[in-house]
Amino acid sequence: MVSNSDVLADILSAIKQYSHHNAFVIEDKTYTYEDLGKKVANIYNCISALENNAIGIVAENDIETYASILAVLFSDKTYVILHPSYPCDRNLKIATLAGLKTVLCSDNTECDYLSRNGINILSSRIENNAVVDSILYTANGSSNAYVIFTSGSTGEPKGVPISRDNLNAFYKAYHQIGWKLDANDRMLQMFELTFDVSVVSTLYPLAIGACIYPVGYKDVKYLKVFDLLEQYELTFAAVAPSVLQLISPYFDEIRLPSLKYLVVTAEASQVELLSRFKNSIPNAEIYNLYGPTEATIYCTYYHTPVEGNCKQHNGMVAIGKPFMNTQVLIVNEDGAEVPRGTLGEMWVSGPQVMKGYFNDSQKSAEALVKDNNGNMFYKTGDLCIMDADEDIIYCGRKDYQVKIQGFRIELSEIEFNAKQYFDPIPNIVVIPVLSAGICSELHMVIEVETCDTTALHKYLSQKLPHYMLPKKIHCIGQFPTTASNKIDRKQISQLINN
Amino acid sequence: MTKQEVIVQVERIFHEVLNKTDIILTETTTAKDVEGWDSLTNMGIIVKVEETFGCRFKLREIIKMKNIGDLCDAILNQKNS
Repeated sequence: MVSNSDVLADILSAIKQYSHHNAFVIEDKTYTYEDLGKKVANIYNCISALENNAIGIVAENDIETYASILAVLFSDKTYVILHPSYPCDRNLKIATLAGLKTVLCSDNTECDYLSRNGINILSSRIENNAVVDSILYTANGSSNAYVIFTSGSTGEPKGVPISRDNLNAFYKAYHQIGWKLDANDRMLQMFELTFDVSVVSTLYPLAIGACIYPVGYKDVKYLKVFDLLEQYELTFAAVAPSVLQLISPYFDEIRLPSLKYLVVTAEASQVELLSRFKNSIPNAEIYNLYGPTEATIYCTYYHTPVEGNCKQHNGMVAIGKPFMNTQVLIVNEDGAEVPRGTLGEMWVSGPQVMKGYFNDSQKSAEALVKDNNGNMFYKTGDLCIMDADEDIIYCGRKDYQVKIQGFRIELSEIEFNAKQYFDPIPNIVVIPVLSAGICSELHMVIEVETCDTTALHKYLSQKLPHYMLPKKIHCIGQFPTTASNKIDRKQISQLINN
Repeated sequence: MTKQEVIVQVERIFHEVLNKTDIILTETTTAKDVEGWDSLTNMGIIVKVEETFGCRFKLREIIKMKNIGDLCDAILNQKNS
């Protein structure tokens, strides 16, 4: 029975109730809830007595990785994802920041660098004949469920801790949207486990006894997504608009009558793109879901109308109404609420908002603000308008954060790392290049006459994950500046585009 | 045109699109073996292959291509049909 108040309690119930239902189909191999439960119990018995609270998980595309996430959560510990394709340096930095002493890994050969640095590696393939009934789950709302490390502007990744209370507040509000989904549904999971939409794409289907079809990090994503949707007649899919953009030349070949829901998320969606895709998904309702990691996955939703005009700004689909119990303010530069219809920064408050960044009071103080009633608001940095119907219209980023394929990137982090390559350090800017309104690639521009761009690219690939690497590196002898002597990014962008 | 000749040309396309000259392709090479061969670059590779060989693939055909050998067979099929 789904309680809709504690996602982990519901998952444990589903593991018992739906033991013969399929829980996962990974690389065409099927795992039932019984298979999943056994794996979770084996890992749970291995880690529940450990003293350290935070446990790392190396995110492979296998059942053991998903079982590890559940085992960590059931044992009242906090999981931190390490991505196998990220540079060792970055994973070690995350391990240090999170204070990881133990990492669960399904492929031990991928973890040598961690054990060489004093981290205890546990195999998630362990078999100890544990049974599901040995899992003693007790809800403890204040402890952290996970910490996600996002790109930080000083070159240090920034940890966003999400407590079980945050997660369950999200779960209740997400359920409230009214999805008509149950144990017979087949649901896509296309997101990297380092990105928080993967959390809902995993935990929600498991809480209702549905089956999950994950896409691996080594797959050519847009092809695998379409392949799974068609081959397994999936009924629910949350996708990044960039995936739709990539398959858009083939829309007329695609027909997915089984799909009941299409969720677009992770970056701004284009109205025109969705409207062209509608013919391929005749029976699907389309939702745009928005949320910063700091406010637990999603905190606003917009149900796009079947007929008539979709609310938009510059072609970007509206983000709609706040989730239940989430309060939204649109404010001016002074933090004062602006009148309806006026552009301002969106602040969000409520039980989904984190308490502060992981061990970083300075960044927390910059991002969180209390109102006169003592409510804590997270400053999203997103520019929005609240319209007359109280729908929120998304209008773009306030600063230089961008999203590529769902990954949030601080351009300044890339610039920071590139500068370390040089002596003396030149000016460097990273320019997002837009394709159909979506940031599709990054270009780096360096204020030097010439440099060895191949060597610089190689250096950066040892420091940054692949999605942060610039597609092109340009050298410009002298940067244009604005009237106030600031580097003129707009003009630089025009120069490299010509 | 032989399959080997097609592979040589496809390899050149990979060098150009991925901006790396040290990629060596064989019939059994998959996306998992080549760093940087992902969703975004795959689209670029397919577009370039279609331009170079004067062919056009359906999405289902692209999905069926599990390795470089499959891609080369698909090119040859279209060239010979």
